[in-house]
Amino acid sequence: MTARVTIRTLVVVALALLVQSTVMLDIRVAGVSPDVMVVLPVAAGLVAGPVEGAAVGFVAGIAADLLLPTPFGLSALVGTLVGFSVGALTGEAVRYVRGFATLVALVASAASVMLYAVLGAVLGEAQFLRVDLGAVIVVVSVANALLAGPSVRVARWALVPPSEHVQAAGRR
Amino acid sequence: MARTVAKPKRSRRTLTTLVVLVLLSVSIITLSETGRASVLTSGVKSIASDIYSPLRSGVNGVLDPIGRFFAGAVHYGAVEQENEKLRAQIAALQGQRASTRAAQRQYSELQRLLQLDKLPALSSLTEVVAEVTSLTTSDFANTVTIDKGRNDGVSIGDPVVAAGGLAGQIVLSYHHVSTVRLLTDGQSKIGVTFGRGEEATLVGVAAGKPLQVDYVPAATPVSVGEVLTTSGLQGGAFPPGIPVARVTSVRTVVGAADKQITAEPIADLDGLSFVEALVWSGSS
Repeated sequence: MTARVTIRTLVVVALALLVQSTVMLDIRVAGVSPDVMVVLPVAAGLVAGPVEGAAVGFVAGIAADLLLPTPFGLSALVGTLVGFSVGALTGEAVRYVRGFATLVALVASAASVMLYAVLGAVLGEAQFLRVDLGAVIVVVSVANALLAGPSVRVARWALVPPSEHVQAAGRR
Repeated sequence: MARTVAKPKRSRRTLTTLVVLVLLSVSIITLSETGRASVLTSGVKSIASDIYSPLRSGVNGVLDPIGRFFAGAVHYGAVEQENEKLRAQIAALQGQRASTRAAQRQYSELQRLLQLDKLPALSSLTEVVAEVTSLTTSDFANTVTIDKGRNDGVSIGDPVVAAGGLAGQIVLSYHHVSTVRLLTDGQSKIGVTFGRGEEATLVGVAAGKPLQVDYVPAATPVSVGEVLTTSGLQGGAFPPGIPVARVTSVRTVVGAADKQITAEPIADLDGLSFVEALVWSGSS
């Protein structure tokens, strides 16, 4: 990662964290808030591949865990695995298949929530499996599916050098 | 013919990155859960909180209308009904000298907080009044953040009371902010008494779900509406005699050793504005 990419990524993560702890807390459906920190590694994996997806997932997870009373590092672990998986399994399809980013964000967010709950329970937070997991999965997945488009654009701005933007435009 | 090796190199780099980040995450989790090293991670969180809290407060002032707009869009029907009710109330209140609804509610909340000071167990304790600044940012934990921390005398483990009764316990305390685990959090377990000195454990399940009262033998008389108070046992985690919850249902299953009892918190945990952290050093 270049310095430019690193700085832009940190700015995006910081802004996402601010939005999550202000605007998103006001939006509650069935007592559950959306989680925009989950969509960051998904968007990074879609746009830039597994390495960048894992790195953004790690950084976003650490940033989120700094403010949470839950095990420190858990969000980073989940973000790393989800970002890597999305990047490794999706390739370049986001550029050419309409609605692909939305579908991936939906599925990956659901997987992220389930993985977080299971790993948290393994680490001794048994109450993670007693929350209304169905509601959390639905709300977080649907919200992130709606945010997939803007998230991919922001991730492209942060992670893809301008020269590659031009190359992609030329290919089309 | 030249052979290209770009693909294998990239695969190695990809796998290496994944392994390194996963190991790093697991190491951080392990360090934060062990005794000594957790001081380090707590220090990092404290510094982050000191930097982030003022920034969040400032940004919240700007973004609050946006959040309320989306919240209103999600709950449009309920917001419309509430608007109608408020218009009627405003019409009734016109001509009277009255402060705003928010100020009145906060005033009565503070008044009820002061009532708790008359309890024998609390009259000798130092209290730190704090304002709730934010709800938890996680759907897996039920906590709130208050605007007082270590520098104000608040420590980890201090009980927190709100208007009416016990609200929770301090689980994280930084320089100027602290995190309160509410009664309804899944990790919350409180020793309580009721009736003629009967003892039980009050267990949180999740936000919005009723509390469970465990370890009440089937033969123990319990009635709906009975008030549960802190027992003062449990290693002295809470001072005795603080009202905690009210029994909402009692069920005796044939053949079961214990009763199935649910309860609801006495304090209004959904509308917390002001709380008191009690400087409590345990059963010393």
